[in-house]
Amino acid sequence: MGEVILTMKGIDKSFPGVHALDHVDFDVRRGEVHALMGENGAGKSTLMKVLTGIYTKDSGTITFEGKEVEFHNPREAQQAGIVIVHQELNMMGHLTVAQNIFIGREPKHGLFINDRAMNTEARKLFAQLNIEIDPKETMSSLTVAKQQMCEIAKAISHDAKVIVFDEPTAALTDAEIDQLFVIIRDLRARGYGIVYISHRMDEIKRITDRVSVMRDGQYIGTLVTEECTKEDIIDMMVGRVIYEEPKTESRCAPDAPVVLKVEHLNAGRMVQDVSFELRRGEILGFAGLVGAGRTETARALFGADPKQSGDIWINGEKVSISSPKEAVEAGLSYLSEDRKRFGIVLKKNITENSTLATLKKYTKGVFIDKSAEEAVTQKYVDALKTKTPGIDQLVMNLSGGNQQKVVIAKWLVNDSQIMIFDEPTRGIDVGAKQEIYELMNQLAASGKSIIMISSELAEILRMSDRIIVMCEGRKTGEFGIAEATQEKIMAAATRDIDMQNRKNRQEGAAV
Amino acid sequence: MKAMLERFKSLRLVRIMGFNRVVLIGVIILLCLIFQVLSGVLNHGNVFLTYARFTSAINYGYFIGFLALGVTFVIATGGIDFSVGPVMFAAALISGYCFNNYHFPMWVSLIMCPLIGMVFGTVGGFFVSYLHLPSFITSLALMQIAKGVGSIFTKTQNVSWPGSTDPGGWYRKLSNLEVTLGNGSKLNIPTGLIILIIVAVICSIVLNKTRAGRYMICLGANREAVRLSGVDTRRWEMLAYVICGTLAGLAAIFYVGCYTTVQPVKGDTFNNEAIAACVMGGTSMAGGLASILGTVIGSFIIAIMQEGILSMGFNIAFQYSLTALILLGAVIADVMSRRRRN
Repeated sequence: MGEVILTMKGIDKSFPGVHALDHVDFDVRRGEVHALMGENGAGKSTLMKVLTGIYTKDSGTITFEGKEVEFHNPREAQQAGIVIVHQELNMMGHLTVAQNIFIGREPKHGLFINDRAMNTEARKLFAQLNIEIDPKETMSSLTVAKQQMCEIAKAISHDAKVIVFDEPTAALTDAEIDQLFVIIRDLRARGYGIVYISHRMDEIKRITDRVSVMRDGQYIGTLVTEECTKEDIIDMMVGRVIYEEPKTESRCAPDAPVVLKVEHLNAGRMVQDVSFELRRGEILGFAGLVGAGRTETARALFGADPKQSGDIWINGEKVSISSPKEAVEAGLSYLSEDRKRFGIVLKKNITENSTLATLKKYTKGVFIDKSAEEAVTQKYVDALKTKTPGIDQLVMNLSGGNQQKVVIAKWLVNDSQIMIFDEPTRGIDVGAKQEIYELMNQLAASGKSIIMISSELAEILRMSDRIIVMCEGRKTGEFGIAEATQEKIMAAATRDIDMQNRKNRQEGAAV
Repeated sequence: MKAMLERFKSLRLVRIMGFNRVVLIGVIILLCLIFQVLSGVLNHGNVFLTYARFTSAINYGYFIGFLALGVTFVIATGGIDFSVGPVMFAAALISGYCFNNYHFPMWVSLIMCPLIGMVFGTVGGFFVSYLHLPSFITSLALMQIAKGVGSIFTKTQNVSWPGSTDPGGWYRKLSNLEVTLGNGSKLNIPTGLIILIIVAVICSIVLNKTRAGRYMICLGANREAVRLSGVDTRRWEMLAYVICGTLAGLAAIFYVGCYTTVQPVKGDTFNNEAIAACVMGGTSMAGGLASILGTVIGSFIIAIMQEGILSMGFNIAFQYSLTALILLGAVIADVMSRRRRN
């Protein structure tokens, strides 16, 4: 670890009604990975936005390379050498990789852009990072992980000295995370100062040198990663200890009736011949890497996307589902991984969102029965302990966890018997996560059947009664919770299908 | 200053009407004062603020309100409609021509107006909601179709609806009813205005108290979330266009009630006015936010502007540019307030 390159001291920032940062201290040294941790809303992002000039601080000082600085916009910060690799990547999908990296500063050839020089430069950058990406590839054809690597390359090309990673692994698979860590370690060795924002405890232990923790806009403290335990960090983050114990046995009776049976479901490249059963009161985990086709399976099942073939039985009766409307009528519900886009209407209040799927029930004649609608909304706000000043609060003013509760309420009002939770705790802080887990357990115990899609193995092992693993659009494994292990699931999730076929053929030949 | 603003915002009446609407009424008063001064300066002591001016502003401008009400539904769903003016003219041309040349009874011609509008609205709505065409392009095409159909039907001739003393002229009473009082003095009852208010109240109820309205607004805010909640979004989106077309057709009755003569291949200037009225009133171009009261007030601002420009002795052509400027201003205000909220 080298000398301190960046120091933020006594940073204070208030928004109307919120003291977002309360005299926060933070520093980064050359050649270290410094984790910045805290629950959602703890002020991590705000601190980084102050650093890069997106917000102006109310007070405090920022010292960068020995000089006091104040950036007015991200561009100034970038020019000085501080770059953020955002959680949501800011890429122009239809441009090539090289065009994205050199946007706004393309090498010129007279009046024209010198594509060849640009591609060569990009190739050099990737060589430095030991990444294999073709600069001429269009951005949108790359995986999220590769796109992120392009962002990193872009940061390096800007002569960055401090690189901020904002939840870089949120959308990556485990193999991709390993690859990212190789790059980050390499950057560290070359003397870059790295700020690493993440919720994932195991990553912090793997990659970082120091950990700074924030809670409610305050700086809590800094630990040296090697000298502290996971529990130490969590204690600082939430002031309480959370245990994540995997489930050991199924809570669903083996002879519980099958409520949903799917056979030979096909929908495009991402859903190929998927068959499974779901029992009453069961939580069926769908594990797999990002892009394994789990969300696509759920959407095809729910009628959100067209499917080519496949039979669906609900409670033993064959049903045809070609639109979400028919799915909802059949008792299905789908809680999308992308709540803001597919789950809620941000601009509308809790009541309007809660009855969105069931408005017909709350209509008398042609008019909406306001009091009945509000009564049922209040009932579920209380039951789910949604934190809100009132049911007329706009959903956009709620936190991620509470928005998720509103979506759950929407489907509970509809009394859906089969609920598909797609990444139910994505973007939700630790405390609220716990509540969502308990809620799902209660729902299952009360006889609802749940399909839970999750990319977090810990979550899968903790919640599921049975686990289905998908890889490249196919079902590649099925385990009861008692026999499931991380290793088995990962093996199925990364199974090379061609190899599997070859093996089968060989076995067939041997017999 | 800030405290005063907060206190003003917390007044009961202001809360009920919505702060934006109160500001709009302020705008109306300000406009009147500006016109008062300007028309005095420019036209040698001409006075703007007279009862006659006020009634004239309303009589010649309120039909915009029907168009704007319809457009409010479409904009609430996140769409846009540039066809209402020509659709109104097509309705007036076709039904008027039927009355004049085929001797349809007046009441049939009157009923034809909203029905013709409804046909246009249904066609446009179908293209937008079921075939997923952009509403912008669809409505532009529909505008030209409406112009074409109306003109072809009348062989590109003007259509003059009957005057108030002609046979069938009773329809004018729908716009303005003149009653003779006991003492012989005459009183004008603005029946058209009253009908506009009634229609506005119905629109407000539909938008705020019924399932259709709820779905239209919600799908304007987030179509995919509504669809994934098991709602057939196409159906409700189409309904918005049907309502819009029907109201445009209805507006025809009140347009001819005041102007009598309809020209072919015209009417597109009213599109801007209707959209401007709507956006000024607080209906967001992004969809998901609509105010019927705002639209009505917005329509009156347009009407007063029109009158004000005439009173200053300017050509009516000024009106077009000014309306466009107002539309731009309203959209800027809309975009800025959205940005602030985020």
